[in-house]
Amino acid sequence: MTAVSRAWGRLTLPGRIVFTLVPLLAVLGAGLVALIVLFGGTAADLILANLGFVRFLAAATIILVITIPIAFLNIYLEMKVIALMNLRVGPDRVGPWGSLLSVVHGLKVLIKEDFTPTAADPIVFTWAPVVTYAAAVMTLLVLPFAPGLYGQDFNIGLLYFFAVGGMGVVGLLMGGWSSFNKYSLLGGLRSAAQIVSYEIPLTLSVVGLLILAGTMSLNQIVQQQSGWFTDWFVFRQPLGFVIFFIAATAEANRTPFDLTEADSEIVAGFATEYSGMRFGFFFFAEYVNVFILSALAAVLFLGGWNAPFPFPALSIPLYPGSLGIPLLFLIALVPIIGTLALAAPFYLARSSMRWWVALIIGFVLFNVVAGGLTFAWAYVSFDWVAGLVWFMAKTFGFVFVFVWMRGTLPRVRIDQLMGFAWKWLLPAALLNLFVTAAAVVIVGS
Amino acid sequence: MSMNPIRLVPGSGMVRGMALTLRRFFEPKATIRYPEVRADIPPKFRGRLQLLYDEYGTLKCETCFQCAQACPIECIDMGGMDTKGRFHVHWGAAETYGERREESALRRSGRTVPDPAYDHFEGVDVGAVDDILEGFDHDPAHLLAILEATQAHYGYLPVGALKRISQVTGTWYAQIYGTASFYGHLRFEPPALLEQAAAMAARRPAEQAFLAGLGASLSGGGGDDA
Repeated sequence: MTAVSRAWGRLTLPGRIVFTLVPLLAVLGAGLVALIVLFGGTAADLILANLGFVRFLAAATIILVITIPIAFLNIYLEMKVIALMNLRVGPDRVGPWGSLLSVVHGLKVLIKEDFTPTAADPIVFTWAPVVTYAAAVMTLLVLPFAPGLYGQDFNIGLLYFFAVGGMGVVGLLMGGWSSFNKYSLLGGLRSAAQIVSYEIPLTLSVVGLLILAGTMSLNQIVQQQSGWFTDWFVFRQPLGFVIFFIAATAEANRTPFDLTEADSEIVAGFATEYSGMRFGFFFFAEYVNVFILSALAAVLFLGGWNAPFPFPALSIPLYPGSLGIPLLFLIALVPIIGTLALAAPFYLARSSMRWWVALIIGFVLFNVVAGGLTFAWAYVSFDWVAGLVWFMAKTFGFVFVFVWMRGTLPRVRIDQLMGFAWKWLLPAALLNLFVTAAAVVIVGS
Repeated sequence: MSMNPIRLVPGSGMVRGMALTLRRFFEPKATIRYPEVRADIPPKFRGRLQLLYDEYGTLKCETCFQCAQACPIECIDMGGMDTKGRFHVHWGAAETYGERREESALRRSGRTVPDPAYDHFEGVDVGAVDDILEGFDHDPAHLLAILEATQAHYGYLPVGALKRISQVTGTWYAQIYGTASFYGHLRFEPPALLEQAAAMAARRPAEQAFLAGLGASLSGGGGDDA
């Protein structure tokens, strides 16, 4: 016993963690293997028998979980891009180029006190962020990320999107009302007025596109835009796209339409009395909303997962299994040989370089090269990887534009905001709709 | 003034703003990552002003005011009391310390600042001001009349009297000062000084005549270098 305790005492902290984790993982892995062997067949049968239910569970879990990295990425982009536009460096301490700062922000929000004002309506106050967040998350269900990678292919997907997305304002109104604070109430009322007003041009701007597409299924809308980038709906509905983008900015409460949380006028709007994770949920929902509206803009007008040009169909005849035993040697040797080969030029070129530094550089380079090759292979071989790449590129392009606008444009006045929606956007959307309908009738007849 | 016609297009400002921020996005950044990178500072930069203590914990400063006199931009200033009325040497910008704040306000108002080291600020007896205000029913609407009455009593407008008016009537001091400085017949300096200056000026021709006579009697050449 003393020998064991002495050996334990000599270990450093990482050593202790490894010595605890390795046996634990071994036991857990063995148990998992045993479970799969014993009950795997039955479980597979059960899943296959209830595929719809399992798919629903998986989709619900994934859309809930995927909001976290999406929101973190958006928050990081917001901090970094605006900083760069202000000639600052922005976050650069936590993680590579500060990319983990938003995670730290999330943790900070988690450990803060969750405060409820005395006169607040506690039930409504508690549920307000949940409603907002749920509305944002549920719209993710119909977004087609890539071929075959979507929660559900509704034939009324777009309608569902607008209906559920419009529920977010209920949460904001709940938060504003129940906080028992005039700034919160003003923020909530402003958000209600703003979002209800902009919902109309937002929806009407898409109706012209629906006439052209003939369907409300987001999946089919994307499929109709395949081919060259000239097939994208943005070239057939330019006015609709502009109206959609402006209305989406207002829907997401983004600058220059962020009247609901205008800090210089009404402290923080509906979020004034919120703290801790409830506040965090509001802001999670806001950033998820930015992503969702960007994704919808990409899906409706920029061809969603489609590449801007028809990619020549390549297929790499890669059947590693056919190599047999030599595959094992390949797996064992390629990393070593690759690392050495990439390290050699650095070691030989500079006499001052230590051998282990060269090895580290070679290892990192090998990882980059191998990762790049694997990615290229996946891009060529799997439709959904290529689709996801293009979808994310377009979506984050829009997110960048949102952040860019926030870094540039000042906030509008509330009367300008409402006047713009009702006097300019709505007539423009109606014009777009009528012109599109007339064009369809003339071309069709 | 030729205007770029593009600027007349509504909404072009937004586009130009967006272009500006996008350009900034790619420009080199102004931030200095401090602990790793040190800024290039001028060699005479001395950093933050700080008083040094010796090994016994006693202040090394002797309050000799030499640093304050040497400071070219008058950012060093000294006072002898802390906020609790104990003797304590401190320094820094004048606005930082309680007893300097009034001075600082005087300085910003453009009037001469009494130097506490040589010339103590003499308060005035404000009882007369109270009587005058009583006569005007403490109504700041009659500010000019109040000021004229005050000047008639004191001969000029002492700061203490103006402050008393501000305190009693609730008018901002800046407003009273503005009113007083607007009218040419109201003055902030005691007339004694003005009379003295006039007397000095009146004596000047006699002085010059005396000097000229002196120079002539000494050399006969001229009184230029007398």
